[in-house]
Amino acid sequence: MTLYEGTKDKSYRVEGLFVEEAVTRRLQALGLNDGTVLKILNRKKRGAMIIQVRGTRLALGKHISSCIEVKEEA
Amino acid sequence: MEHVNTADGKREVHVAFVGNPNCGKTTLFNALTGSKLKVANWPGVTVEKKEGSAVYEDCNLTLIDTPGIYSLTCYTIEEKVTRQCVMDDDIEVIVNIVDASSLERNLYLTLQLLELGKPVVLALNMMDIVKERGMEIDLHRLPELLGGIPVVPVSAAKRTGLEILLHAVVHHYEEGPSSHVVTYRQDIEEKIAKLEVVMQARFPDHASVRWHAIKLMEDDEDVWREHPVSVTDIVDRNYEKDIIQQKYQYIETIVKEVLFHKEKKAAFTEKIDSVLTHSFWGVPVFLMIMGLVFFLTFSVGDFLKGGFEVVISFLSVEAETILTSVGCAGWLISLITDGIIAGVGGILTFIPNIVILFLALAILEDSGYMSRVAYVMDGIMGKAGLSGKAFLPMVLGFGCTVPAIMATRALETEHDRRKTMLVTPFMSCSARLPIYVLFSDMFFPRHSVIAAFSMYVIGMLVAIAIALLMQKFEKGQENESLLIELPEYKRPNGRTIAIYVWAKLKDYLEKAGTVIFVASILIWFLLNFGFHGMVTDASDSFGAVLGRWMVPLLKPAGLGMWQIGVALISGISAKEVVVSSFAVLFGVINANSETGMQTIIAHINAQYPGFGPLNAYALMVFCLLYVPCMATIATVKKESGSWKFTGAMVVFQLLLAWVAAVLVYQIGSLFL
Repeated sequence: MTLYEGTKDKSYRVEGLFVEEAVTRRLQALGLNDGTVLKILNRKKRGAMIIQVRGTRLALGKHISSCIEVKEEA
Repeated sequence: MEHVNTADGKREVHVAFVGNPNCGKTTLFNALTGSKLKVANWPGVTVEKKEGSAVYEDCNLTLIDTPGIYSLTCYTIEEKVTRQCVMDDDIEVIVNIVDASSLERNLYLTLQLLELGKPVVLALNMMDIVKERGMEIDLHRLPELLGGIPVVPVSAAKRTGLEILLHAVVHHYEEGPSSHVVTYRQDIEEKIAKLEVVMQARFPDHASVRWHAIKLMEDDEDVWREHPVSVTDIVDRNYEKDIIQQKYQYIETIVKEVLFHKEKKAAFTEKIDSVLTHSFWGVPVFLMIMGLVFFLTFSVGDFLKGGFEVVISFLSVEAETILTSVGCAGWLISLITDGIIAGVGGILTFIPNIVILFLALAILEDSGYMSRVAYVMDGIMGKAGLSGKAFLPMVLGFGCTVPAIMATRALETEHDRRKTMLVTPFMSCSARLPIYVLFSDMFFPRHSVIAAFSMYVIGMLVAIAIALLMQKFEKGQENESLLIELPEYKRPNGRTIAIYVWAKLKDYLEKAGTVIFVASILIWFLLNFGFHGMVTDASDSFGAVLGRWMVPLLKPAGLGMWQIGVALISGISAKEVVVSSFAVLFGVINANSETGMQTIIAHINAQYPGFGPLNAYALMVFCLLYVPCMATIATVKKESGSWKFTGAMVVFQLLLAWVAAVLVYQIGSLFL
């Protein structure tokens, strides 16, 4: 599934980044790599979301979140 | 290392302040150098590098503050600026400021800086937040895992640990660079070793060979360009992902060893966010907050202005008496009282409004809310083809358009930057405030706050509408690439707010003393001199000739008066000058007072019978939308690098202002 399909207050493990090169590198620099665990803190129904990753809060647009492949973390 | 000695026998040391966005670099820089640079709680406040100095023991330190970055790559303007600064041979020590409350992410940049091979001192900022969250950092183990560099806990806001930090900077500077910290997978290390040999052979004097070797592995464009070595046999693909991941793996081991009990979370921020970033209430809450800001600006500001009026009128009367008693020439008395005091003094009476506005904006910026605004507005901005981040320069535009235009640097693409630059001037800046206050007080006495506030709403709507139209025209896709960090909320810092408001107030006073001062003298000259020397009737003056030429143009907007033409032209120097012009035009000492307003209304009605609220509103709309000021034009030219773009923008703003004012007047006339 993609991160965009995720639900609020649930945690996910990143399985792959499939967004433009420049954005990928930026996400990686922010610590979003394959295997990183993140949590969705808040989201709009159709749109941006706020995630927590490595102790930081990030706002991600729909385009970016739908290009991040994730798996739900138990 | 060789020490440079200055005339006073002290050593010169150049220190760069580097760190993630919003980690407190500038606060620390201000504390050490006594500078008063702008500080706020959102990522991307600093967009240019700034220098300051400090003295410690026998060293003269030159400190350089840089824009915040997450990585030493060069994808954004900030990254380019900072990277160039850090790489500069002049920089002898790097102070890496780290937000201890998000150590994990901050250390990624640290590891890259360590690879440069220059001396690095780690300043651990925001330790108080770490404590509040019930976390602890092992300050013995951390330096051990970072190659033995000094780690100094500081509080930039409370100014603690500063001496120790400077001591470490000077001391470490003598010690020289630390050894390398992260060891990559064997195949990568082998390649790095090979590249280092190649680099060493080609560039024997190179200081940071390992860093460059790693950057070549990451396929870094700039490094390739500057060091065109042929190593395709070694670098068979882009290893950036591997290198990033292994750095983060190393960070995970660091964090596991040095960071203790992380369970207690920042419940405070989450609670506030559940309201401010609510999926439905987010936008209304933002509009309400901005509404409150402007309400305070107008009502409290108006309440306070009485004091200023007394001072200004006293000054004017005194000046005239003294000048007359010493036998000054009539023209000089006129220049000083009707030109300078009327033009500049009138503007000074708006100081209370300006201070309240900037006070409110400072609190907003320092609380941590700004990033949330980007998130909240992302949906609307996305439809206009911009990310929510583009809304930040627009909010700054409520203060002053010039720094707002500069803040567009934080946007990712040139297209987004230009589009944001084009719409930001429609956000009413503080210079337009005096016009709104004056004209809504004069023509809408009972609803002046609503009339003035409506200008802000119209400006915002026009900005978004233009962006939407451009989006339609370009047939662009919805922009959904928002990416911004949301910092922890914090109680605004009194010192930060004071610096911010004082800087803005100083700008305003400086503008009153320079641009507005000169403009007032010019306007006085234009109105008191004509082709036959000094004139007694202003309608024979140069100004009248100039203004009359504009009357046919302004007539459809209900502004067909040569005085308005003069005021609008001179308003291009700075928007406040529109008010100054009216004061000078009608010989009013203080435009922003009861008697001043009565005089202006009487004069306008004598010239233009029937000039009423509708005409005044059309004038306000025109002032809202037309060219902001010379300083903005210059900034847009500098930031866009294009005269063509800048020129097109000016023409567009003039046309738009004219069309909008005409529409307001013509449509309004049908009903009134």
